[in-house]
Amino acid sequence: MKFSRNWMAEFVGPLDVDAAKLGHMITTKTAECEGVEEHGAHFANVCAARVETVEPITGSHNVKAVVETGRYGRKTLVCGAPNCRPGMMTAYFPLGVKKIGGVESDGMLASAAELHINGDNSGILELEGVKPGDAIPGCVPDVLVEIDNKSLTHRPDLWGHHGMAREVAAILNRPLKDPVDLSRLPGGDSPVKVVIEDFSLCPRYSALLFDNVKVGPSPLWFQYRLQSVGLNPISNVVDVTNYIAAELAQPMHAFDADKIHDLTIIVRRAVDGEQAKALNGETYSLDASNLVIADPKTNVAIAGVMGGSDSATDAGTTRILLESASFHAGSVRKTSSKLKLRTDASMRFEKSQDPANTVRALARAIDLLEKVCPGIKLVGGLVDVKQLPAAPAPIELSIPWLQNKLGREISQAEVTDILTRLQFGVTEKTPGQLLVTIPSWRATKDIAIKDDLVEEVGRMIGYQSITPTAPASPAVVPPDEPERLFYRALRRQCASQGFTEVYNYSFLSKGEVEPFGFPATDHVGVLNPIVQGQDLLRASLLPGLLRNIRENLKHFSAFRLFEIGREIHAQPRGLPDEVPHFAAVAYAKDDGSASLFELKRLAMILGPGVTVQPADAKSYEHPARAANVLCQGEAIGRLFEFHPNMVEVGRAAVLDLDLRRLLALKPAVSKYHPVNRFPYSAFDLSILCSLRELTGELEEKMRALSGPELVSLEYLRQYTGAPLPDDVKSVSFRITLGSPAHTLTNEEVTTVRDRIIKGLEQQGYELR
Amino acid sequence: MMIEDSLKEISSKAQAAIAGAASADQLEVVRVEYLGRNGSLASLSKEMKGLKPAEKASVGKLLNQVKNSLEQDFETRKATFEKALLDARLTTEWIDLTLPPPGTKPGSLHPCTQIQQEIEDLFVSLGFTVLDGPEVETEYNNFDALNIPGDHPARDMQDTFWLTGGHLLRTHTSPVQVRGMKKLGPPLRMIAPGRVFRNEEVDASHEHTFYQLEGMMVDKNVSIANLTYFMKTLLSGIFKRETTVRLRPGYFPFVEPGFELDIQCLICGGPGCPVCKHSGWVELLPCGLVHPNVLRMGGIDPEQYGGFAFGLGLTRLVMMRYAIDDIRWLQSGDLRFLTQF
Repeated sequence: MKFSRNWMAEFVGPLDVDAAKLGHMITTKTAECEGVEEHGAHFANVCAARVETVEPITGSHNVKAVVETGRYGRKTLVCGAPNCRPGMMTAYFPLGVKKIGGVESDGMLASAAELHINGDNSGILELEGVKPGDAIPGCVPDVLVEIDNKSLTHRPDLWGHHGMAREVAAILNRPLKDPVDLSRLPGGDSPVKVVIEDFSLCPRYSALLFDNVKVGPSPLWFQYRLQSVGLNPISNVVDVTNYIAAELAQPMHAFDADKIHDLTIIVRRAVDGEQAKALNGETYSLDASNLVIADPKTNVAIAGVMGGSDSATDAGTTRILLESASFHAGSVRKTSSKLKLRTDASMRFEKSQDPANTVRALARAIDLLEKVCPGIKLVGGLVDVKQLPAAPAPIELSIPWLQNKLGREISQAEVTDILTRLQFGVTEKTPGQLLVTIPSWRATKDIAIKDDLVEEVGRMIGYQSITPTAPASPAVVPPDEPERLFYRALRRQCASQGFTEVYNYSFLSKGEVEPFGFPATDHVGVLNPIVQGQDLLRASLLPGLLRNIRENLKHFSAFRLFEIGREIHAQPRGLPDEVPHFAAVAYAKDDGSASLFELKRLAMILGPGVTVQPADAKSYEHPARAANVLCQGEAIGRLFEFHPNMVEVGRAAVLDLDLRRLLALKPAVSKYHPVNRFPYSAFDLSILCSLRELTGELEEKMRALSGPELVSLEYLRQYTGAPLPDDVKSVSFRITLGSPAHTLTNEEVTTVRDRIIKGLEQQGYELR
Repeated sequence: MMIEDSLKEISSKAQAAIAGAASADQLEVVRVEYLGRNGSLASLSKEMKGLKPAEKASVGKLLNQVKNSLEQDFETRKATFEKALLDARLTTEWIDLTLPPPGTKPGSLHPCTQIQQEIEDLFVSLGFTVLDGPEVETEYNNFDALNIPGDHPARDMQDTFWLTGGHLLRTHTSPVQVRGMKKLGPPLRMIAPGRVFRNEEVDASHEHTFYQLEGMMVDKNVSIANLTYFMKTLLSGIFKRETTVRLRPGYFPFVEPGFELDIQCLICGGPGCPVCKHSGWVELLPCGLVHPNVLRMGGIDPEQYGGFAFGLGLTRLVMMRYAIDDIRWLQSGDLRFLTQF
């Protein structure tokens, strides 16, 4: 929201501080200032001027005018405005001499749009009641302070200039002028009748009736003021409501009283399916959760959001019903977000506006309408229907407690002074103990407990006055964090093995998931995805890694990467199951085996004792290159190569591990065997078997046949080719035997060797 | 000829032969000729049989001297040859050590991981425990338990991804505050790094997925002064230099009072530059004293304990540290980017 320095100065006196300083002051004490800008600087130079003569320029729609500027003397200039005529008073902008269509023009006559008074660029400004050389009345250079709306979320009072001026007054320790004179509110009965059906949604509805209204443009100074803070001048009546919203933060609405049946206002819930025609020309379909303002026949406004088009003021309006009400913040917010209709009114109401403000705004309206809508007359007295919650009890504030929270000393006198400047009521209960009354405009949501007062005092003394201090608590040894250390080691080992860490999004599209054949029901869906298609949460890291493969193979012929992330699996009830996974990819343009073994090595590094067991391939896996990864006999993941349908160029091996399972396994405790002191004996065996015989299984068989003398069984190599038949391979192992008690004799070694050979032969193997 | 003379002659001949040997092999021939079992010296010692005992003693002594001296000459000469041989071999064994090693080059960790680990270490050294929480949260944990009831306008500050099943993707790591309080109990010091989500259009400086680090300390008598102490310590640790911080009012419903913490611009040091938008300060993290309602939600009595909490944007820190121009690189999976770290 933009704040005008001149506007605030009306309440706190001249703000001659440098614009940047003003912004800084507000930022450090109140709310975040996003920038300060000069506004209307040209009004220092622009002045009223009388057009003396006008003569046409041949071949141009422009005219050559001589104007009397008073301040700058008589000037000849070129003007293109259709309303440029001798005798008129307008605005002169000294811009220096330049040639327009070959004619010298000394300065220009300006339209209201060019002067940033309003959006009117149909002709040059028409002025009345001024003489040449006068400044444009009420239009003076200003400074605008832009405040981040987010930082005003909790401050309903700061949605108006008077509220911000109150802060400035407190900071600068100046008195604050109140623009409101409540004595202006008329007494007596009103012809307007107001019925509130649910006071919890509308605790207060105040209104005034005016007659003798002439709808027309507001005076220039009024328009300039509105325009400077970003409000478009519309008509004097509407401008007054907007002005007051920007000044007192109280949204108002002016109905054409002759369009309100029986002059009766009913504040009620909408009926399901009820249509509301709003001022913006749209029609909204409402339900019982939306509050409407209605007359006995139909709705006339969406409460707190926008007025209706059928009851709006227009050029023919002569009587207005001015609404100033208080609506439930949550209800307005709900309606506004449901209708996707955010307005200056709804933004204010959803911050919990002060109900005390409704009549203040009406009193101010009387004052302003008399200025901008001459001849206007009040009809009857104030209508003010309300059921307000009791004012909150004063907060007890202990000075020592406050000092503890702040972490610095502060005297009771200083606290009292600060709170008083912010217009809290402060009395001393006992020495060191204050009773603090919350002003109504801070009591709706912002301030309720003593902790809220810590902020009030803290920001005013300035947080920089608090010296950083170490807490006076004993140091303790932080607890063990085996899981975190596991993740650390995991990442470090992966990187050292040549894998680079990637982060992928948690969002996937159906198109990315379908090729994997993952069931759609397993996925949690996103109801409001940012991009159509990114509407599933990943239940596997693989689709993301596949995307990484496809992107990176454009730039690299070989690469390795890994990700640690969460699979999110929908559950029938409760939160989804989030399973931490590790997935690594080794990509190369070769026969693929090296990558698979690299990943197997990685698995063995990450999970000591890991084994790999070939398994049926899934649809996205290479049918002959897929395996389960086991640790201590439990499946913890998968090792495979992507099916060529998935990765068409090159080959990508993948290791996918369930880290929750891996973490749950107790690290195998190593058992110590005394090292044999007697020499070992070793011999090699080469076994002939079918090509797809699993070496791991062969090894297990030999191990089972070996007996207690076996020290180690080591795979050496395999061989295919001549002289072996095509469907046979030879696998060689080295068997090492030993005994803790003596050196094995030749006979003993031969016995074991023969037992293995015989056993293998019985199982159909041939020895080479 | 006297035996002594013969000995001298053999000695001088042998010396000349040792010196004249052109190779280790020739040297060996010389050794066999003079010092071998049947060599000249051995033959001469046989001749001593005929000598008188007195002569025998003096000649024997001389013979031993000559023998020792020649053996030493021989060893020296032999060592020369061996050294030359080794030198020659070593010279041929030249290796170009500028060649890359075989096998894969080491990979690297994601820059966010690196920063996260660094900050975790900092906090662990300050006695903080590292906690974790789910990425999919209940509306209650993400908002209500943090003092942001339904229809509170603060909900608009964090555009939310809503999920089937009525849950949401956490918009901040703050839900771990309540989880942490319940798990650890007071007094406690915890941090919770993690992935968070905001329903925002993505561009060079906005992401819908980013990383935060939540921090919280609960103890007796925790003050704003303690908060600034920890933040200053933390930031000096992160930026490896003394940092100046300032607090200004900021509104976050789960803290009271709430602050925006700015650091003095590290680029210009205060006078103002484009990085700090000419203000001299860079907004870094939101923080505050834990709201009593949030303490209660965590099962902690706010009359007994107080605390501070903060949320550090890890992604933002990464962007700042490496001066990364486009936030989208971070989740691109593009190794041209990732291998730089």
